[in-house]
Amino acid sequence: MREVFLFSLLLLFPGCQKEKITISDNTSEVFYVENAGASMRVQVQGNTASNTFILVIHGGPGVSSYFYDTKYISQNLGDKYAMVYWDQRNAGASQGASNGENLHLDQMVKDLKKVIEVLKFRYGQDMSLFLLGHSFGGLIAADFITTPGYQNMIKGLINIDGSHNYPLNDTLTREALLTEGIYQVSQKRNVDEWQPIINYCNTHQGNFSLEESQQLEKYATEAENYIDSIKHINIVTQVLKYTITDKYPLTAILSNLLYSEDSNFNKELAVAQFSSSLNIVTIPVLVLWGKYDFTCPLALGEDFYNRVNSTDKSMLISFKSGHNMILQDEKFFCDKVNEFVMKHR
Amino acid sequence: MLKTAISILALLYCTLCHSQCDSINDSSTRHFNLKFSYNSSLIYPGISTGIEFPLNYVNVHVFKNQKLIRCFKKGRFISGNLNWYHHPDFHDNLYLTAEWVMRRTRYTGFMSEFSIGPGFSRTFLGGTTYKVDDIGNISVIKLAGYNYALITIGGGFGYDFSMKKKLPFSALAKMNLISMFPYNSTIYFRPVLELGIRYTPGRSQIKYIRNPLQYQNNNERSISL
Repeated sequence: MREVFLFSLLLLFPGCQKEKITISDNTSEVFYVENAGASMRVQVQGNTASNTFILVIHGGPGVSSYFYDTKYISQNLGDKYAMVYWDQRNAGASQGASNGENLHLDQMVKDLKKVIEVLKFRYGQDMSLFLLGHSFGGLIAADFITTPGYQNMIKGLINIDGSHNYPLNDTLTREALLTEGIYQVSQKRNVDEWQPIINYCNTHQGNFSLEESQQLEKYATEAENYIDSIKHINIVTQVLKYTITDKYPLTAILSNLLYSEDSNFNKELAVAQFSSSLNIVTIPVLVLWGKYDFTCPLALGEDFYNRVNSTDKSMLISFKSGHNMILQDEKFFCDKVNEFVMKHR
Repeated sequence: MLKTAISILALLYCTLCHSQCDSINDSSTRHFNLKFSYNSSLIYPGISTGIEFPLNYVNVHVFKNQKLIRCFKKGRFISGNLNWYHHPDFHDNLYLTAEWVMRRTRYTGFMSEFSIGPGFSRTFLGGTTYKVDDIGNISVIKLAGYNYALITIGGGFGYDFSMKKKLPFSALAKMNLISMFPYNSTIYFRPVLELGIRYTPGRSQIKYIRNPLQYQNNNERSISL
């Protein structure tokens, strides 16, 4: 039996794990970084010959970087730079066995550092590397760049609707929901839908528990549906569109998402904040925000922007986006990222 | 994990032991089936091979007003399978299963079955895997992947060509749901579709009893409604 097993291995598997490093204007390759019980998938797409890499830190926790790899981004950023999609531990196509005890923010920052080291090992130490953090990815990015010495590993940071301070995030989400809700009701728009949100915000005014924080997040997501001027994204349609072409491991993505959403990790996140240490950040920073983002409200972006000490920083707002600008206002997103990277590469 | 593998192998090995078999059993119960199938995990390719041994079978005849209205064969089998699928950029999964199978075959040849059993999975990651030590040294991990315990449950249908045409094989289509654990401290489910054939060496020599009133033994059961 053992001989049959080993013979099968010899025949089938060495080819799959053969090291493949491509320098071209149309690269598409996957490698894994193993660290502390997790093997994290990293996909490199686009123009590696440019020597400029944009590493996407996805939201969540537990969402996947697969959802950020759209055709529009491939054609409008991937043609000029290499897009790097990293699936965090216990997310997307990342794999492992019994590793839940390592699901911590600090561990994710260590993971990110190792992913960067492997990227540079594969494609060259002299590469221009930018971090792009979205939503929860903004928290990892904030933790990373405020760790002494780490910001020198990258050329710049792009913060897209990212959260750097969860307690502040909850307070601002409540305020944004309340303000917009009252305005929408005064305009007699979706009154029946806004009223429960307003009532909830009025009865929960601060010192939010984890359950209250999660309820506010649910309302924040729901509230986007009641704003007519933003582009509404159907996530199911989006997933179905790319499942086969991008070879999504759908059930793995779902298992990881359910585990992360329900793990104790969220209690740790509920008190995580990096506002007080952002002043050490001096690298170029681009902050892009959706005007109707209730999940991470605009005021959170302003707090981030005001606290970083970078001499080269800018904050731009998309007026037809909520929390998912990358999908809701693709042109704005790609144009602004392109300008920033082109300037600082 | 080693214990799991040994347990599965031991379970399979038991099925090969004939020392405690009933010596007056019908010879047809000692035939084994060989299975070869395309083991597609939805759109991703794979192969499954297996061997199964009958534990028991019974011919069931259902009568109503002393008139035969239905007859079929019910069998219980134990099978050992070696399966593999390839999901590009994600992983290759090589897994061994020991399954308990319930199968019902009508005399028209149509059959349906249900199976359940434990297994052992070894995955191989779908890309070069790197490890970085604390001082920044980078190395490639050979044959990187994980060992998982596995449970499979499935059901399907097929056609037994030996019933009408005396051909020693049957075609099958079966949907299995494999669950692997602990996968990132949780359970990973994956639907797997099997399309294949099952070959029974010497099957064409088995005589099937067409008229239950002429012959009845331990493997016969009549039900009157």
